[in-house]
Amino acid sequence: MNFSTLLIRKKPDIEGLAARKDIAGLVKALRYNDVDVQSRIADILGSLGTEATDELVRALKNKDKNTRLGIIEALTQIKDPRAVPALMKTLKDESSEVRWETAIALGEIGEQKAIEPLIYALKDHDKYVRYGAAFALAKIGWKPADDEQKAFYFAGMQEWKAVELIGKSAIPALSHILNDRDSNVRQKVIEILGEIGDPAATPALVRSLGDANSEVRWKAVLSSQRCGIRPIHLPRGLSRRPKMTKNPLIAGVLNFMIPGMGYAYIGKWWGLMIYEVDIATTIWIFKYWGETNTYSTLFPIYLLLAVHAYYIPKKMLEPPI
Amino acid sequence: MSLGRFLVRGKPDIRALTQVRDIRGLIAALDHRDFDVQWRAARALGTMGADATLPLINLLGYPDINTRLGAIEALGAIRDPRSTKVLAALLASHETSEIRWAAALALGEIGDKTVTPALLSALRDDDRYVRYGAAKALGQIGWSAETDQDRAFYCIALQDWDAIKKLGTSATGPLIDMLKERHPAIRAQIVEILGFIGGVEAKKSCEQVLRDPDGDVRWRAVLSSRQCGVPTSYLPLQISKRQRTGPSAFGATLLNFFFLGIGYDYVGKWWGLLILETYIMLLTLAQLELGPFMPFLIFYPITALFATQTYFMVKRESEMAG
Repeated sequence: MNFSTLLIRKKPDIEGLAARKDIAGLVKALRYNDVDVQSRIADILGSLGTEATDELVRALKNKDKNTRLGIIEALTQIKDPRAVPALMKTLKDESSEVRWETAIALGEIGEQKAIEPLIYALKDHDKYVRYGAAFALAKIGWKPADDEQKAFYFAGMQEWKAVELIGKSAIPALSHILNDRDSNVRQKVIEILGEIGDPAATPALVRSLGDANSEVRWKAVLSSQRCGIRPIHLPRGLSRRPKMTKNPLIAGVLNFMIPGMGYAYIGKWWGLMIYEVDIATTIWIFKYWGETNTYSTLFPIYLLLAVHAYYIPKKMLEPPI
Repeated sequence: MSLGRFLVRGKPDIRALTQVRDIRGLIAALDHRDFDVQWRAARALGTMGADATLPLINLLGYPDINTRLGAIEALGAIRDPRSTKVLAALLASHETSEIRWAAALALGEIGDKTVTPALLSALRDDDRYVRYGAAKALGQIGWSAETDQDRAFYCIALQDWDAIKKLGTSATGPLIDMLKERHPAIRAQIVEILGFIGGVEAKKSCEQVLRDPDGDVRWRAVLSSRQCGVPTSYLPLQISKRQRTGPSAFGATLLNFFFLGIGYDYVGKWWGLLILETYIMLLTLAQLELGPFMPFLIFYPITALFATQTYFMVKRESEMAG
């Protein structure tokens, strides 16, 4: 992005551009950071019909996310099958919003050859993309070929009851969705695994015992009981969870070298205050008493602070499991 | 663990170690970095029989938590009655909840009925995992509740809320006892059931949870209070006495008066430190120019203004937090 455009961005003259059918200008204007303006432009681009397809598809390579979103929205309205190959590429875009929007567009255009990539998008790690892909597939009139695809489809639709009814063959799909970053989704998946209650879910449940989220861990304990995992193995699975404990040695050394920073490292808000006070005091003692006195007065204090900071993390209670 | 060993440690061959019954080798594998190795080592140790009991018991004081958990797991599989005493002691008093939990589960595996009292008191643990483990273990040793109170604690430990509702007022005491639970979601659940059961005792505890630090628990308490017959006019005063977890307005004001900016940092504004830096810098420069005391006469009236603003800002924000 050009730096000067960032500073002097005027509201684009949309109606003028629309009257001139200036597609390049309209695409450029999509960068203007106002949702109303952007969706108005997408509407206009969409109303231009199939003659705009080629230029819009070319512009899909744009680096700006908002521009890509606007173009895909327009292509959704145009419904030109020629756009499908390009959209199949943006289904692997780095932005999850673009992937979601693409899935919706492919559903609206309704080309059969989009089915393959959409099935792949059902396995996306973002729930919005999965939701969009499932809807698009339904719109195209696709029917799942086997139970695993069916499981991915209903999971994408958020119809958990239907996933549960599939039973054991839904487990691979559910294990895959456990990679979702949203802990609510992970909790839901674990609940369903418990409802299905098949030992095949063991690896997924054992992995979730070490989840970063405490509710996911607890649900994994409850569900594992319904899948026949012997409870005696659970505590060690749980001990794998990421722990946020601070290293006492780092706190101590930091507090000696840069008094106050050790406290800040442990997460005490007043650490930086002590740091400031130390700097001010050092300057004053230095000015009035000279160098030797500064060090001989302050070093013993630093040592005490270091020892104190060393013992705080040692005594900090571990968060509940 | 020595540093050298940590760096050049390959994967131990658990199967070979099991075949030659190398108990020490298997024990060493318990704190391996790879979780899978730990897992298989603990299982293999469980098949070693009573020979392994004493070495495993000696391991319970080892600093590494995975080793201790693995040892407890193996002891549960070996089922040697000699280990029940140690495990019951761990269950009663160990500070780490995972160890207590593992000990409860191992006692269930061993199945010795003499540990019933220890498991019953573990039903009252303040950690939900330990309670759950104790309930599971009691189920395994074939225990059945003799008193309504024990049954209530058992159901709470299993989080079987429907069964608790059926127990009625005999569950009230145990439920109130379990309000010490750290997880707000469970406290909220307990409050809801107390409201469902009703009764004089529940009424008293509803008043207590009206002051809970968690907003959701307080709200449930308000709803339950009505079901218990606490007069509505009584609620606002109780709620206003709640434990405040947010920053204190007075503290922030004082801090900002003496060290302008740190008060903002204290209430969670990241730019507080920026102001503090600037303030200290200006103060030091002024002191170099005017001597040590004069600058304070200039700066204190200014920081007093900021301090006043801070006071009202924090008050307003804590009011919104409800």
